[in-house]
Amino acid sequence: MKFKGKSFIAIVLAPEQPFDGWFKELDRIIERSPGFFIDRPIILDVRGSNIPIEDLEHVLDGLGERSIRVMGIDGISGTRLKQGMPPSFGGGRLTAEVDVPEPATQTGKADEAADDDNPQVKEKDVPSSSAASASDTNGHSFAKSLDELERESAKQGDSSIVISDHVRSGQSILHPDGDVTVIGSVSSGAEIIAGGSIHIYGALRGRALAGVAGKDSARIFCTKLDAELVSINGLYKVADDFDGTLRNSPAQIRFENETLVFEGLN
Amino acid sequence: MSNATVVVVTSGKGGVGKTTTTAAIASALAKEGYQVCAIDFDVGLRNLDLIMGAERRVVFDLVNVVRGEASIKQALVRDKKLNNLYLLPASQTRDKDALTEEGVEAVITELRGYFDYVICDSPAGIERGATLAMRHADEAIIVSNPEVSSVRDCDRIIGLLDAKTKIAEDGGRMPKHLMITRYDTDRAKTGDMLATDDVVDILSVPLIGVVPESKDVLKASNVGLPVTLSDENSPPAKAYMEATRRLLGENIPVTIPEEKKSLFGKLFKGRAA
Repeated sequence: MKFKGKSFIAIVLAPEQPFDGWFKELDRIIERSPGFFIDRPIILDVRGSNIPIEDLEHVLDGLGERSIRVMGIDGISGTRLKQGMPPSFGGGRLTAEVDVPEPATQTGKADEAADDDNPQVKEKDVPSSSAASASDTNGHSFAKSLDELERESAKQGDSSIVISDHVRSGQSILHPDGDVTVIGSVSSGAEIIAGGSIHIYGALRGRALAGVAGKDSARIFCTKLDAELVSINGLYKVADDFDGTLRNSPAQIRFENETLVFEGLN
Repeated sequence: MSNATVVVVTSGKGGVGKTTTTAAIASALAKEGYQVCAIDFDVGLRNLDLIMGAERRVVFDLVNVVRGEASIKQALVRDKKLNNLYLLPASQTRDKDALTEEGVEAVITELRGYFDYVICDSPAGIERGATLAMRHADEAIIVSNPEVSSVRDCDRIIGLLDAKTKIAEDGGRMPKHLMITRYDTDRAKTGDMLATDDVVDILSVPLIGVVPESKDVLKASNVGLPVTLSDENSPPAKAYMEATRRLLGENIPVTIPEEKKSLFGKLFKGRAA
């Protein structure tokens, strides 16, 4: 029996005192975009708040009333949770913030909501990949909500970025909006995360994760394949499982019938 | 008053030869007639004083200067052999948190006024000590052994050099030089070591020198002399002298120690027979 690994972007809700105010803010979001929380993995983040279990119960009930189903709770020991509560959920790595979608007529208000950050809505990558953070490097980080991404790609096509330098070990390029092109090599220990395809004019020795926002049609291209890990739409393969014949040669990787297909480029 | 070029010697990984390289390059530059200061940034684990044979003359150290407890002139230790070579030792009793960014900046700025070259010996790792050592550098020498973990750590350091240094923050790009140390000709032949070309290819930094693994390095550090001063004709000393001339801008091809060593091998064979 084999297990597949798949990563999802979860929305992280961090309840803030007073809870009544926080719920009101949540209601405002639901009112504006009723589908925002539907079919999304949702993590409740109580890290650092030392929340009493009664308050947690209150928050979970409140979310339940709003049909927000929490898949896990981050930042609380599993032994403190009561029966019937979602499981404790460790690990994970923060990604960019999710903007709350807004009807076109209320753009002004949208900025306001994003600015006061209340309630905090952040994307979190589950499960965590590497400990590299984009903040201590010259990595580029842009993020938009998935809804917005879909809207945008439908309207005007994806945005793309070009990195005209080597991506060094420990650096992370995160661009959930579209394609990433690297003119240079991606070193062992570096990673490229793209909503669209990844193009590398150089050696790929690190990790490349394409189509992270659920795009099967994303591909990975490189002029020298020596990757540690490649992934398209959450489906990944590590170097050990690669077909050895393409090692160190130009290659493309695409997603087909729930598998990753490796092909030489000539 | 001169305005020094500040060079950081860094690698990420420990034990690759940063301190040996710092001492060798600093003394080679001094032999060329430049006013040179070597700074040991490895607060808490200082070694450069030992390698340069100055450990018995250390009074004040970098931390004292950074904290204003001593002046730079009080803390500088002059080399026994070369009177234009100085050492600013690290403190052995403090840790790297004793260094402040402003303090280090002030020290470097003052040293720039006194010397032609300031060589900073970075501690291993990517934490405070290492980032402070590279922060105000004008150029960097990346020291790598021909093996994968060392190369990856160097790659990480290069990323930091291009992100966290003063030059990078001002939108510039720090010139970098790659020094491959502990190059073992026998192992290179049998293929259980990364080839020089592979290291250069992975790191994409111009090669400044290849220093062979040699007993001369150990011998030199035991007598407290930089390898470029202890035995000028030893293969590592020659490699460091050449690297220094390249650092000064001379355009001479890098010699991979293979041929040289084989010549030495012949000599030894002759002696043993």
